[in-house]
Amino acid sequence: MTAGLDASALPQQLLNGLMFGAIYALVALGYTMVYGVLKLINFAHGEVFMVGTYTALFVSWQMGYFQGAPGMTRATSPAVLLLMLVASMIVCGLLGVAIERFAYRPMRKQARIASLITAIGVSMLLQYGGALVLPVSPPRSILEQVNPYDGNLSIPLKPRNASLAASVDKAQAEEKLAALALEQRIKQEGVSSEFDLSEEGKKIRAASQAAAQVSRDAESRYNESGMSLNVPYGQGIMFLATLGLMGLLTYLVMFTKTGRQMRAVAHDFDSASLMGINVDRIVTFTFLIGSSLAGAGAMMCATFLGTQLTSFVGVTWGVKAFVAAVLGGIGNIPGAVLGGLLIGVAETLVVWAGGSQYKDAIAFVILIFVLLVKPGGLLGSAKVEKV
Amino acid sequence: MKNLLGVWLSLAASAALLTGCNSASESTGKSPETKPTANAKRPAPPKDGPAIEGETIKLGLVASLNGELKPWGDDSKLGAELAVDEINKAGGINGKKIELLVEDSNSKPEQGKTAADRLISKGVVGVVGEVASGITAQIADSAYQAGVPVVAVGATRTDLTDIGSNVFRVCYTDDFQGPVMAKFGYEELGLRRVAVLTDQKQPYSQGLSESFIKTFQKLGGTIVKEEFYNSGDQQFNGQLTNIKGLNPDGMFLSGYFTEVGLIARQARDVGLKVKLLGGDGWDSQELISGGGEGIVGGYFCNHYNDNEDRKEVKDFLALWKAKYSGKLPGTTMGALAYDAVNLMADAVKRAPTPNAKGIIEALDGTENFHGVSGTISLKGHQGNPPNRALFVEVTASGIKFRKAYEHFE
Repeated sequence: MTAGLDASALPQQLLNGLMFGAIYALVALGYTMVYGVLKLINFAHGEVFMVGTYTALFVSWQMGYFQGAPGMTRATSPAVLLLMLVASMIVCGLLGVAIERFAYRPMRKQARIASLITAIGVSMLLQYGGALVLPVSPPRSILEQVNPYDGNLSIPLKPRNASLAASVDKAQAEEKLAALALEQRIKQEGVSSEFDLSEEGKKIRAASQAAAQVSRDAESRYNESGMSLNVPYGQGIMFLATLGLMGLLTYLVMFTKTGRQMRAVAHDFDSASLMGINVDRIVTFTFLIGSSLAGAGAMMCATFLGTQLTSFVGVTWGVKAFVAAVLGGIGNIPGAVLGGLLIGVAETLVVWAGGSQYKDAIAFVILIFVLLVKPGGLLGSAKVEKV
Repeated sequence: MKNLLGVWLSLAASAALLTGCNSASESTGKSPETKPTANAKRPAPPKDGPAIEGETIKLGLVASLNGELKPWGDDSKLGAELAVDEINKAGGINGKKIELLVEDSNSKPEQGKTAADRLISKGVVGVVGEVASGITAQIADSAYQAGVPVVAVGATRTDLTDIGSNVFRVCYTDDFQGPVMAKFGYEELGLRRVAVLTDQKQPYSQGLSESFIKTFQKLGGTIVKEEFYNSGDQQFNGQLTNIKGLNPDGMFLSGYFTEVGLIARQARDVGLKVKLLGGDGWDSQELISGGGEGIVGGYFCNHYNDNEDRKEVKDFLALWKAKYSGKLPGTTMGALAYDAVNLMADAVKRAPTPNAKGIIEALDGTENFHGVSGTISLKGHQGNPPNRALFVEVTASGIKFRKAYEHFE
């Protein structure tokens, strides 16, 4: 086994972490916004995410992307993806509003613990209710054909050694020749696969395998002579869309009248209502925005990462995003983004350092450390609760 | 200074707690090192177990009817029900009909234990299930305490049958599966430098990786790296980027289809073009929908295949199609559950005494039982039948049979 750190992979790993952390951040925003205005931890947020993945799945089915559909190719228009995104955002937004209206609002005058327990109840209702009605098997994941963005974007940091390129071409040509010879031999012997070949045939197979090995080594040497960043197109789009949505949210909260009202409600719920702000409307609006962001994250994960869908898919995301929100300082919007990115990067760095078995633990270790030093989270203000 | 020390202490304590939780909920309570040998003595259950009473013979089935492993759970249930139907149509066993009680494990070990306890309290004389080794270990523990026999459907982790002399299975173990895959990869696919990805949350995956690595190195191959993930993870770019830098020619994925599909797809995205190899945990149609074009060309090891030209297989498929409106089983677990129920029923018929203890004795003496997955013999094998392994390839048009290996030590 090779130990030691591969410094040349570090930029790539940091980028991976940032791209993934952005999705954590997107989901964490929902937690933090709701906590900001209501001081309530919306445990059903992960399940809103789950509903978002299924909405995207159903829309993709409606558009003709189901297993065994005729004439399905990868070359689709991005309009399908956009439609899936918008549908997920709308459905999730409305679901969030409905949850607030029917589960949390009747509890608002009660002790806060009552709302908290209601939130856990809604979460379980959606998980197990979903297991009854939603299709888990088969086919339960969004087909990759819906995603027209195949392949990688390669950003060169250091050019590759051009003199090696010729050897790669040569090796690849030889590999093709050897593969062709094997194919002919299989046909010639009339067997169904390479595993039934005669001893003579197996020698040809070994030659083909050796040629493939030479070609792979040449390609690897060529790739390693330079340095480049690889971004799968899908994940790149996911990252850009996430940034765009965050920018939109910043504009909404900081520069619109509703945003100002939202900040006022977050600052002091009762005073805000005395100042003539319709707090119910603001709370509804907060759930609408927070949940639709989760919906956007859900659609992109399900489409670009190929997440397998079950009604419990939101649990892991919910927990990680919640940790991200607390880490950044729950109730603080830039904090949630920072927390999400930090967790994403920390997780990939742990993997890069060879500790992939501690990937899930690192988020919590950081959380504990930060809370011990700064109980309010990274950007949160540590307010002592008045009893 | 004092403060800082406190911080570190609590950090260490919480880290220990985190890891502690993980192993407590998943482990079988036995170290993975214990391998059954021909003369190993398995402990006999502390109790004699229930007797066969009443109008019917009650058998229990634990299956993952919900959660990520639902495809296996659904097929287990259909296969078991098919077997019970056939037995009852033929007049039952010694004049008594079989009553099948089904409980859901929800793809979780803890709930598997609850399900087994519930079945035992209802008075079943035998339990069939599960597919996942982590869940089966919990069922076997409960059944051991109650003296009830267990026939596992697709659980291959080797040390499962060490729990007690009441535990049996109808499939091969990872002590065979790991080595046979290493052999196949080394000799047939020509792999020399392999990276391993292990699901550290699944006892099955850990045991399989361990036995694969051991044999592959013995054959002369190199394991360039073993990376880890947890079931439920969605993103494997970190591990895959590490692996890509080491330039392997193959990747061994010992986990379940739920993550393998994703890994295959993301491996293709990061530009990792290697042969993929895996165990019976891959077996599902979801593997193809999840892995897409990335999984095509991968090989895995399985218990049986629909296309096999054997009378048992053809009869089984005809019965299945007749009962389930012309559909074929989605996974091999349909056939394995069918075998497990028939094996249990066969033991009930041969039991020297009409109680759970007698059934355990009869199961332990099974010789040349003709199942769909092959001929099963348990006599002298400590609950682990020496079954064949079939290699199948994932192609764009489905899963194709490629090569069979007879059992070897």
